Amino acid sequence: MSRKSVNFTIKEINSDLAQFRDLNITIGSITRERWEEPMGPTPYPSLTTLRSWDQRLLSRYKPFYMPFCDLCCLCTYGKCDLTGTKKGACGISMPAQQSRTVLIAACIGAATHISHSRDLLNHVIATSGRDCPINVGGTSVEVEAPITRLVCGVKPETLGDLEPVLDYCENQLTQLLAVTHTGQEGNHLDFESKVFHAGMIDHVGMEVADIAQVSALGFPKADPEAPLCDLGLGTVDTKKPVILVIGHNVPPATAIIDHLKETGLFPEVEVTGICCTALDVTRYSPRAKIVGPISWQLRYIRSGVPDVIVIDEQCVRTDTLTEAARIHAPLIATSEKNCLGLPDMTDETVDAIVAGFVSGKVTGALILDPEKVGEVAVATAMAVAPKRKKHSVLPTKHQLGEWAKKCTQCMLCRRACPNDLPIAQAIRLAASGNLSGLDELYDDCLGCGRCESACKQKIPIHSLIVAAADKKTREETYCLRSGRGAIQDLEIRKVGGPIVLGEIPGIVAFVGCANYPKGSREVAEMCMEFARRRYIVCTSGCSAMSAGMYRDEEGKTAYERYSGAFEAGGIVNVGSCVANSHIAGAAIKIASIFAKRPLRGNYEEIADYVYNRVGAVGVAWGAMSQKAASIAAGFWRLGIPVVVGPHGTKYRRMLLGRADKDADWFVYDARTGEKVYGGPVPEHLFFAAETKEEAMVMVAKLTMRPNDTSRGRANKLANYIDLHKRLVGGIPQDVYRLVRTHADIPLTMKDECLLHLSGHDWKESPIPDPTLLPRMVHQKRGD
Amino acid sequence: MFEKIPVEVGLVHEGERVRKNDMQVELGGPHIAEKFEIVRVRPADQIEDGAIRITGPDISAMEEGKSYPIGIVVEIAGAKVEPDLEGVVERRIHEYSNFIEGFMHLNQRYDIWIRLSKKSYKKGLTSFRFIGEVMHELFKNELPIIEKVQITFITDPDTIRPLYAEALTTYEARDARARGLSDEEVDTFYGCALCQSFAPTHVCVITPQRYANCGAISWFDGRAAAGIDPKGPIYAIEKGTCIDAEKGEYTGVNESAKKRSMGEVSRVYLYSAFGYPHTSCGCFEGIAFYIPEVEGFGIVLRGFRDVTVNGLPFSTMADSTAGGRQIDGFHGISIEYMRSKKFMDADGGYNRVVWMPQETKERLKQYIPESVYGAIATEKDVKSIPELKAFLSAHDHPVMKRWETGPEAGQDALAGDGRHVQVFSGGDIPLTSGGFRIILKNARITAEKVIIQPIRPGGEHHGTQKP
Repeated sequence: MSRKSVNFTIKEINSDLAQFRDLNITIGSITRERWEEPMGPTPYPSLTTLRSWDQRLLSRYKPFYMPFCDLCCLCTYGKCDLTGTKKGACGISMPAQQSRTVLIAACIGAATHISHSRDLLNHVIATSGRDCPINVGGTSVEVEAPITRLVCGVKPETLGDLEPVLDYCENQLTQLLAVTHTGQEGNHLDFESKVFHAGMIDHVGMEVADIAQVSALGFPKADPEAPLCDLGLGTVDTKKPVILVIGHNVPPATAIIDHLKETGLFPEVEVTGICCTALDVTRYSPRAKIVGPISWQLRYIRSGVPDVIVIDEQCVRTDTLTEAARIHAPLIATSEKNCLGLPDMTDETVDAIVAGFVSGKVTGALILDPEKVGEVAVATAMAVAPKRKKHSVLPTKHQLGEWAKKCTQCMLCRRACPNDLPIAQAIRLAASGNLSGLDELYDDCLGCGRCESACKQKIPIHSLIVAAADKKTREETYCLRSGRGAIQDLEIRKVGGPIVLGEIPGIVAFVGCANYPKGSREVAEMCMEFARRRYIVCTSGCSAMSAGMYRDEEGKTAYERYSGAFEAGGIVNVGSCVANSHIAGAAIKIASIFAKRPLRGNYEEIADYVYNRVGAVGVAWGAMSQKAASIAAGFWRLGIPVVVGPHGTKYRRMLLGRADKDADWFVYDARTGEKVYGGPVPEHLFFAAETKEEAMVMVAKLTMRPNDTSRGRANKLANYIDLHKRLVGGIPQDVYRLVRTHADIPLTMKDECLLHLSGHDWKESPIPDPTLLPRMVHQKRGD
Repeated sequence: MFEKIPVEVGLVHEGERVRKNDMQVELGGPHIAEKFEIVRVRPADQIEDGAIRITGPDISAMEEGKSYPIGIVVEIAGAKVEPDLEGVVERRIHEYSNFIEGFMHLNQRYDIWIRLSKKSYKKGLTSFRFIGEVMHELFKNELPIIEKVQITFITDPDTIRPLYAEALTTYEARDARARGLSDEEVDTFYGCALCQSFAPTHVCVITPQRYANCGAISWFDGRAAAGIDPKGPIYAIEKGTCIDAEKGEYTGVNESAKKRSMGEVSRVYLYSAFGYPHTSCGCFEGIAFYIPEVEGFGIVLRGFRDVTVNGLPFSTMADSTAGGRQIDGFHGISIEYMRSKKFMDADGGYNRVVWMPQETKERLKQYIPESVYGAIATEKDVKSIPELKAFLSAHDHPVMKRWETGPEAGQDALAGDGRHVQVFSGGDIPLTSGGFRIILKNARITAEKVIIQPIRPGGEHHGTQKP
C-alpha cells in the first residue's frame, strides 16, 4: 500500500472542531507500516554508509590487479598509458583505473537487472494490480524478501510495495555511475567499496524481480519438487512449428504460452528457449523446453529448427537478425532496450504483422506489447513453418568437406578462439574426410563465432563444427528441475542441526554464464561431486542448465539423481539470473532464523554474521557478463567468497587473502572482547581457478569459517584433504593453519594429519564466537 | 592409518549406495530374518584387544549376488566405560563401516542391511577381517575411553540364532532403562553448545527426560560425548540443588546457563513453557505454543504446512521462538521430549495440550494419556479458536477446569497476529486535544513521508502470561 506523491486539496470543511479553506496537503510518500521490528542503523544506505565494513573486508582481501588493458581511453586527454607508476592526464593510477573499470562493469550489470526488474514490475502491476500480495512460498516462508528487508529496512507485502525499493536502486545507481566520471573518485579502495555497493544494490534489484514474477506469474513457490522439464536440442520435436525465445525478461514468452493455451494450439507448437527466458518460461509452464545456455544461440538458429524467434533483453546475440534471416525465420524484438534497428509495429494489427512476415516482406519487427507478441508469434509460427521446411544453413557432409579444403591453415581461427581450440587441425582432418576432430571441438566450443569472423577464406567454421557433431546434438536429451525460487525457512531450520554436527560441509552455488574453459560438462561434474559429498548445491542461470547437461554412469542427470531440496546432497535450481538473490537470501535468513538477528536495515551486522559463520561459496565457472560482476560483488559485501573460471581473470582483479600473514586473521571473540586468531578462513573473497580441479579444492577450502564446530571443521577438512589428494596430489601444505584443536582432525586421517602438524610447530587455539565488529562484543547484563 | 586395507577408507564414502547389480554379497537386509549388531561392555580381562574373529563362512566363501545372515558383536572394555554407553558406541558401527569404500551399511540393531560392491571385492576386500580392522582402529582413535576392543563376525546360522535372541533381550532391557531413567535419579545433566556457532546465546540442557531440542542428542549421548572430550561442546552440568521439582529448576542448571549464555539466561525451567522456559536455537523439531483464549497449548511440528489453529503457520511462530531467547508461552521442543513423562509437566503435560496436527497425534498416541487423547483437537476437527473452544467443551477437555476460574490477566498476550488491526482511527488525530477551535485557511501541509503504523490491540508489548 505504499504510495508516492499524494496530493489532495480541500476546498472547504466546516466542523465543530475546525474550519478549513483551500487546504492543500502534499505528502511525499505514505508507507503502511505493519512491521514491528525496530528499524536498524542503516536503512537505504548511501554510497558511504557501509564504507567502513567494506574497508574491513578489503584490508583482509587486498585487491590484486591484473590489468586487462594498460590504457585509459575514457576522455579526450587519452589514451593514457598507466603502466608502471605512470599516471593518467587526470592523475589516475593504474589500481584506481582498474577498479574504476570494475565499477563501470558492476554499474552496467546492476543497471541491467534493475531495469529488467522495473520492466517486469510494471508489467505485473499492470496485469495483477498494485495490491497483488507477495507470496514466494506460502506458509513455509516467513521472511519473504530478506535482501530488501536487510538493505532497505522495508517489508514488502504487495507488488506496489516494491516500487519504492526500485526507486532507491535507481537513485543509487545513478550516483554510482557518476563516481566513474573523469576527476571523481581517485582511490582504488573507495572504487572497490563502491563496487560492493553496486553489487548490493544489484541483489536488491534481482530480488524484487524474482519475487514479483514468482508472486504474480504463478511460478513454483519455494518448491523442492518443482517439475522436471526437457533440456537439450534433442528434445525439440522438429515436426512441429517451433518458437524460440531468447533473453531474460519473460512476459513476451508467457504471453506466447497464454495464447497457445487460449487457442488450444499448445500441443501442436513447440516453445523453446535459450538463456534465462528459457528458465523462466519453464517456471511458467513445464511443457516449454530449454535448448541450452547462451552458447547454443548460433548452433540452434543455424540448425533451422526455429520458425520464429522472439528476443527480449540481455545476452542476446546482436547479430540475431542476420542469423534469423539466413534461415528465413522472422524475428520479433520486444524490448525497448534491444530494438536492433527494426520498425516499430506495436500499433499495427496482428494480421498485418503476420502477413508481412509470411510474405517475407518483413524480416523483423519491434513489438512492445507482450500480449501482441504472443498472438503474432503463434500465428507466424503456424503460417511460416510449412513454407520454411526447417531451412537449415548447416552444411551437408559433402559441403563440409568442400569448405574444409579451402582452409589455408593460417591459424587465425585458433588465435581468435577464446578457448584456444585446435580448429585448424580439425579442419585439416575434415578435408581428408575425417570429421572426428570437428566433432570433438563441439563440447568445448563457446559458440561465439569469432573463428568465422577471423577466417580469410570465409569458411563458416562454427557451422562446420555443429554439422560434424550432428549426432551429438540429436542426443542432447536431458532434463532440469525448473527454478523453484526461494529457499524455505523450514528447510533452513532443518539443516541447522546437520551443519553443526558436521554432516553438511557447506553450501556451494554454481551460478552465472557459460563462458567455460571446457564446456558445460565440468559444471555438471562439479555439481554432482559436491552433492555426492553431501554439500548443499544450488544452481541458477546458464549454470543451472549446464548442471543438467550430463548423464552419470547410470544415465541420470544431476536433477534426476539428487533431490531438489535445500538439504545435504540436494541440487537446488533456484531459477534464472535474478533468482540468484534467493541464494544470498538463504544466507541472510540463517542469521534471522538461528540467532534471531534483526534484519531490518541492519546490513553490517548481518554481513558480519554471514561472513564469519555461513560456509557458503559461489562458483561462476563461466562468468562472462557485467551482470556476473555485479552479482559477485553483492556476494562479496555479504562476506561470501566467489570462485571463477580462467576467463574470470578478465574482470581485472582478484580479492586474495594472505594466509601467511597471521596479523590479518584476528577476530574479536564476542564472548570476551579479546582479539584472537581466527585462522585464514575464508582465505579468499574472489579467486580465479585455472582448472576444474583447482576450483574444487579451493571451494572445499573456502567453505571454512572461524565459528565452525569441531565436527563441522573435521568434515570440511576431510573433503578438502581428500579432494586435494585426488586432484592435486598429497596432503595440502596448509592443513596446520586450518586445524584449531585435536577434535578438528578428520577421524580417518588422524595419523597423516598429526604427522603434518608435528612438522609445523602447531599449537591448539580456541574456537571463538567470531566477529569483525567491536560493537558486537557481548555486553554482560548489568554491566 | 589404513594402509593395509585394500580399499579407501574415508568420510567421502559415507552415504555411498551399492545397487543390486553392483553387489558382490548382501548381509542381513529384508530377505534375512536373523541379523544384528551389538556392543557389549565386558571386564577388561575377558577381552583380547584387536582380536577379530569370524564364525562361519567369510566373504570370499560366499556366493556372488546372494544374501547371508550376519551378526556383529563388538566387545569393549575400559576403566571409564559404562554399560549405559553401549547404545551410543553401537551406533558408531554404522558410521565407521560406511567410511569403507563400497561397503554400504543401513539401519541398526536387529534391522541391519549391508552390501559389499563387486568393485571393492575385486580390489581385495574379501574378508571381514578388514572391516574389523577399520572398526577397531576408529573405535580406539575416536573414543579413547575404550581401552580394549574385540570384534566377532558371525555368519553361521546356527551360531547366530541364540545370539540373536540374546541381543533382542539386551536391546529391550536397554530401552526400558532409557525410558525409565528419571531426572531425579542422576546427578549430572549435560549441556550442548554446538548450536552456539549459529545462535551464540542458546544453550540446550539435556536430561534423561528432556532430549535436546534438535532430537539428535540424548542424555546417554551427552554422557558419552562429555566423557570422551570434557572440553568439547557437550559438557557435564552438575545439577546442584533442586529449587522447584515441578517446574524443573536446578541451581546447577541456572549457573551453567548464565555462564554459557553470557548472562542472557539466568534461570531455566526444564518442564514449563512459562516464566523461564528453555531457550530455542533454530533447529527444534516442534513448537509448543500457548493459546490464551483456551488456556491450553498447541503443538506443531516442522513438517506441518498449513496454518495452525491460531491462524499462524509453524514458520511464523518459529520466527518468534528462535534465537536463544526465553519467550513466555512459546518454546521449541523435540519429538522425543514429547514422549517423556516430564513433558511440560509443570503446565499440566498432555492435559494442557488442546491442539496438534493429526499426524503428530497419531505418532504420539501411546504417549498421550487415553483420558485426554480424544479431547485434543486436530486440523481435521477445528479451524479456528471459537471452533476449538466448542470442540474442547464438547469433549470435556481437562483444560476446561481452568476456565471456571475466569479469564486470566493479560489474556491478549499472544493475540496480535496483526491481521484485524485498525489502521487509522479518528481518535488518533491530535487536533482533538484541547478546547481550541482550529481554523486553517489557504493552508499547505507538506510531508516528505507519512508512516502509518497499526495500533496493537494489546498495547505496546506482549503481556506477561502467568499460568
